[in-house]
Amino acid sequence: MIFTGLHKTYNGRRVLDVDSLELQKGRIYAVVGANGSGKSTLARLCAGVIKADGGYVKSDVHIGYLPQKSYAFRMSTRRNLRINGSDREREEHLLRELKINGLASARANKLSGGETARMALARLLMREYELLILDEPGSAMDIEATLLSEKLITDYRDRTGCAVLIVTHSLAQAQRMSDEVIFLSGGVIAEQGSPEAIIGSPQNEKTREFIEFYSK
Amino acid sequence: MSTALQKAVEFIFSGSALLKDIIGVTLRMSLASSLAALLIGVPLGIILGSGSFPGKRILIVLNRTLMGLPPVVCGLLCYLMFCGVGPLRHLKLLYTVKGMVIAQIILITPIVVGMMEPFISSVYPSMRETARGLGISRRRTLGLVINESRYQIISTYLMALSRALAEVGAVSMVGGAIAYKTNVMTTAIMNFTNMGNFTTALALGIILLAISLAVNIVVSLMQGGADR
Repeated sequence: MIFTGLHKTYNGRRVLDVDSLELQKGRIYAVVGANGSGKSTLARLCAGVIKADGGYVKSDVHIGYLPQKSYAFRMSTRRNLRINGSDREREEHLLRELKINGLASARANKLSGGETARMALARLLMREYELLILDEPGSAMDIEATLLSEKLITDYRDRTGCAVLIVTHSLAQAQRMSDEVIFLSGGVIAEQGSPEAIIGSPQNEKTREFIEFYSK
Repeated sequence: MSTALQKAVEFIFSGSALLKDIIGVTLRMSLASSLAALLIGVPLGIILGSGSFPGKRILIVLNRTLMGLPPVVCGLLCYLMFCGVGPLRHLKLLYTVKGMVIAQIILITPIVVGMMEPFISSVYPSMRETARGLGISRRRTLGLVINESRYQIISTYLMALSRALAEVGAVSMVGGAIAYKTNVMTTAIMNFTNMGNFTTALALGIILLAISLAVNIVVSLMQGGADR
């Protein structure tokens, strides 16, 4: 799957300037970069939730997208999951795997940040997509929930053969999960390659600075 | 004062035909106007809160201005429209409950829009992005928006009803406060006070306060329900 025309300007400032992005089915891509590097904009453009400078980015791929702050509808956690599918077995599996089965009847809009993040991921994974785009799914989660969600995402990829594009601040997460790291800097792809290559021996100066900073 | 209050309470339970008529007209007018304002105002509030179109800010400013429209000015405008030389004279709405309902709709609809628009604009961007991310259709997203707004819609309605019940300026100008025809509780209180009939005025005041209290209790319960 190829996305083209990933250009976005806010108030005269070009925040993303990527001509094309190619993703392979069955692979997990981690989008890494400093604040304001254009990671979320890239995710939102590919997901089609915002317009690029030249209009919505066209794609005939069935995409599931998890925003940075997902909305918890004023209904139970279980009913939130059912918004996106009616497979009861899958619903129970997701609730159990993310350890929110005890919150199935609780009002989703009253869950904590981490619980909401888990509910939102479970809700997204109720359906099958060809591409999953996840914008910092673990930012509100503790380490246990982060690891649980990573396992669930990897299992989902193995089961469905979908591609996964995950925006993350965590180099450790990128190393644990991804097959490929896309390093963004100033709205452009500064470097792309295997986690070992990008994190182990970065070629780009910006990537090196970022990795050195986060390794301290 | 305590004697007047005692007499007022006795009057409430006396089964007076006049009192029944005043309460009947008040409820008929208030329920009809608040419901119509809700039916017009909620969709407008949703459009203003969720849409992105040229002139949206102007419409919001215009609506906020109309929220502060003085009832007597609204009454005057309606009077001029409905009176013998007005453009809508053929509808024969002056000194009728229908005419009062129209005046109330003009007054209350901006309030309904003004209560819905900020609520929708505060939840819609995140709701829309989540729904789009899940691949939910626009129609179903709209259904979810309405479902999410249910408590807001109910409290907005009760506020509209409260406002309709308490209105006096516009309804007295358009309705004329004619006994057994267009006299509502607020205009009747004014008339009875002017006539020195404080017992009846006080009785009507007690009923009006009781209704207002009941409406506010329901609003509080609704807000409590929404917070739970």
